[in-house]
Amino acid sequence: MIEVQNLTKRYGEVLAINGVSFTAQPGQVTGFLGPNGAGKTTTMRILTGFMPPTDGKATVAGYDVFEQSMDVRKRVGYLPENVPLYRDMTARDYLSYIGEIRGVKNRKARAEEVLERVGLLTRANSRIRTLSKGMRQRVGLAQALMHNPPVLILDEPTIGLDPLQVLELRDLVRDLGHDHTVLFSTHILSEAEQVCDNVIIINQGHIIAEGSPAGLRSELERGGRVLARIDGNLEQALVTVQNVPGIASAVIQMDGIVATPTNHDDPRPLIAQALIEKGFKLLELRPLAINLEEIFLELTRHEREALAVEPDTIEESEAVSS
Amino acid sequence: MTDAPMIHSESTHHLSEDVSTGGALPFWAVFKREVALYFRSPVAYAIAFALFFFLSLVFNGYLAQANQRAPAQPSLIPNLVTFLLFLIGPLLTMRLIAEETREGTLEVLMTLPMGEWHFILGKFLAAWAYYTVLVIISLVYQFVWSQVGVPDQGVALGAYLGAWLYGGAVLAVCMIWTAVTEDQIVAAFLSAATVLVLYLADIAASALAAQPNLGLVAEILRELGLQAHYGSTLAVGVLRLHDILYFIFIIIGALFITTRIVETRRWRA
Repeated sequence: MIEVQNLTKRYGEVLAINGVSFTAQPGQVTGFLGPNGAGKTTTMRILTGFMPPTDGKATVAGYDVFEQSMDVRKRVGYLPENVPLYRDMTARDYLSYIGEIRGVKNRKARAEEVLERVGLLTRANSRIRTLSKGMRQRVGLAQALMHNPPVLILDEPTIGLDPLQVLELRDLVRDLGHDHTVLFSTHILSEAEQVCDNVIIINQGHIIAEGSPAGLRSELERGGRVLARIDGNLEQALVTVQNVPGIASAVIQMDGIVATPTNHDDPRPLIAQALIEKGFKLLELRPLAINLEEIFLELTRHEREALAVEPDTIEESEAVSS
Repeated sequence: MTDAPMIHSESTHHLSEDVSTGGALPFWAVFKREVALYFRSPVAYAIAFALFFFLSLVFNGYLAQANQRAPAQPSLIPNLVTFLLFLIGPLLTMRLIAEETREGTLEVLMTLPMGEWHFILGKFLAAWAYYTVLVIISLVYQFVWSQVGVPDQGVALGAYLGAWLYGGAVLAVCMIWTAVTEDQIVAAFLSAATVLVLYLADIAASALAAQPNLGLVAEILRELGLQAHYGSTLAVGVLRLHDILYFIFIIIGALFITTRIVETRRWRA
């Protein structure tokens, strides 16, 4: 269980995170999602006791991260970004070393067990410098598991892995989520959708959305843009769609018509009715916000519009979803 | 090379839940790892080789002329070792904290349930242990000498004890710089400069003492310097509690400063 209230961290003039609040439940994988520099690593470093917050409060497994740092550290397994390891040690020696500092009894046997869990037993006696990136990531994960912590904090564990290794690691994280509180950060939106029970979206130091991946999707699909594909004259159909009540604008894009509604009501029944009444053959009518990529772009649109750089979001999302 | 597949089937065995922890002595774990690293490190062997090569040359030359010179100086080897510490100290310590900072391994260690002092103390004791081995090996010269002549063993004992404590103080001071910078070379240079300043402090103090009104400044400078507590006392067989306390004070003080530096690094991280 991780509870964060109004957490703020300031580096000099820069506000790395600003009033972040969330809860990560036991038995769940909580995804911490945001672009690079959003404040994910900063938040995680505070939660692991690596550095103190400027303001706000956070408890991990019931202990305050600042006041009871040692109690927190005993209960957290942490895999930092870039997975720092001693390259001259073997995986087994490294785990034994970490176990000894943590005071793990029977640490030899425990190291064995953890290595087996991450599927690294065959390379246990190889020096870490000779291991592949994916294997090192697993050594880092094994390190985080050595003392059987109730809470796991994993900072971008899939970064730099090949596609097969990514799949394996995601499976492992999902599996660990059954009996741990897992906080898992990523900047890959589809990954959060696949791995996490709960997603927290963070951008520029503050949380912009929180919920289950499915919940976030349905919430944003309501009132999101819709794509209509018809068999017939697109120009004429466009006029029809533009005249549907509740449609703010409509344009021809992606071999169809993309309509933006004015409010949160689903515009599809009205569009369908209008098109069919006019005799167009309606082939397809679907919401455009279909994945977290789209949700994220939607949520951060105001910020990006403020920067006056509006990328062609629709084509982008279509490319990803196809 | 292909990776072994990760185990992720339904039948995956779950990790046992009864992992007991407690009674940890983190500094001891850090100490053991660092000592093992010294004995595997080519740099440490290179330092030992260079040191003993140099000492042997000097000793040999001294012995050859010993019959023309009376009385023999029993603290010859310890004196040389304390002088060379401005090189040995930085080379032995430069890696200790700077490397962990640069590689990022410090971040993992600082999220383990151990206070910074465990980490600093373990590293320092390892460096001092390696240095102690060097000092013990250098007793060979003393043995050879006592076979061919009659050196004053009491003076030698004081001098060797002094060189050992002196080394501890120098290594502790060098720890400060390896904590300050993540660049090992920078750490080594700053350490060498600091040790040389402390080595020469009593010479500067003598120069100042000749000036009127600067007597007190000169005295403080002399007290801070390393040689004032070794060269004219321990090295000639005078065992003063005052000098031993000085070395212990320097060790504790320098390690305290190092601990605080590592702590503030966390604040600024």
